[in-house]
Amino acid sequence: MLNLYLIPNWFFGIDVVFELAFAVVSLIVSLYAFKIYKLSNQTQSKLFGFSFLFFSISYFIQSFMNFAIISKLNENVCVALKFQSIDALNTLGIYAHILFFTLGLATLTYMTLRTNNKKLHSLIIVIAIFFILFSANKIYSFYFLSSIFLIYIVSHYFLNYLENKQTKTLLVLIAFIFLLFGNIHFMFAVNHILFYILAHFLELISYSLILINLLLILKNGKKTK
Amino acid sequence: MAKKRNKLEVIRDILKVINDKNGSIKPTHIMYKSNLSYQMMEEYLTELIEKDFIKQSKNKNGKTYSITEKGLEYLNKFKFILEFTDSFGLNF
Repeated sequence: MLNLYLIPNWFFGIDVVFELAFAVVSLIVSLYAFKIYKLSNQTQSKLFGFSFLFFSISYFIQSFMNFAIISKLNENVCVALKFQSIDALNTLGIYAHILFFTLGLATLTYMTLRTNNKKLHSLIIVIAIFFILFSANKIYSFYFLSSIFLIYIVSHYFLNYLENKQTKTLLVLIAFIFLLFGNIHFMFAVNHILFYILAHFLELISYSLILINLLLILKNGKKTK
Repeated sequence: MAKKRNKLEVIRDILKVINDKNGSIKPTHIMYKSNLSYQMMEEYLTELIEKDFIKQSKNKNGKTYSITEKGLEYLNKFKFILEFTDSFGLNF
């Protein structure tokens, strides 16, 4: 069963813009991570790149689906793709969003485990997807599982900050903490309007911090000794 | 006490040593200049050849190593690489 959120009218469209922004920031981070991988051949950079690429795809899908609902574009899409009903199209969109975000979190969590074991990576992904697929409340299960992944990710960035106390490492730690809080808020957003809005704002803070960090890196990276 | 170098920094040090010698240097010089044990140096050199950061040449005096375009690019962009990997926790 998939539950839909209760969203206040004034927030219609704003959530679309937020999700589009998250998608763009994630895509930029992903591209720079792949650039680092190309320069250094470092596996962690490749995994990080793929994680944020999956996040980006997930947010693009979410943004498009929400836009389609508001603009009633989904009726035309439904006809074009020969879907039986709009509900089927919306469900597919939600599942696609869940799939890609889970892939992103699973890959990022695997990266933080500091191991080079592809079987472990595939095991994490398979368990995650089947856990959500066979649960009664898929949305709730998705956000619950995402929160678990994010706890591991936050602990990795906490240790990273302790090893390397700089503004940039602190920014990234705080960004992922906000992402975790946003995710927890989404768990309760099905029944409470305010949580949906709060969750988006918490994610906005998170991705803003990530973007600021990236800009600081680009600025410092260009400085010569 | 100096902070322990991470892998990216060790690679930078090796490439810098090779580059500083006008592109051709013997293994023992690399080992002393980059402050590595012989075994560690061999492992790194093998990896750097596989990843096309350096080239190995053999002549009557033995093996020498020279830096490639990819290796030079790594050196030039090292600050950016280190900043990115440090802040996003990718350096392990």
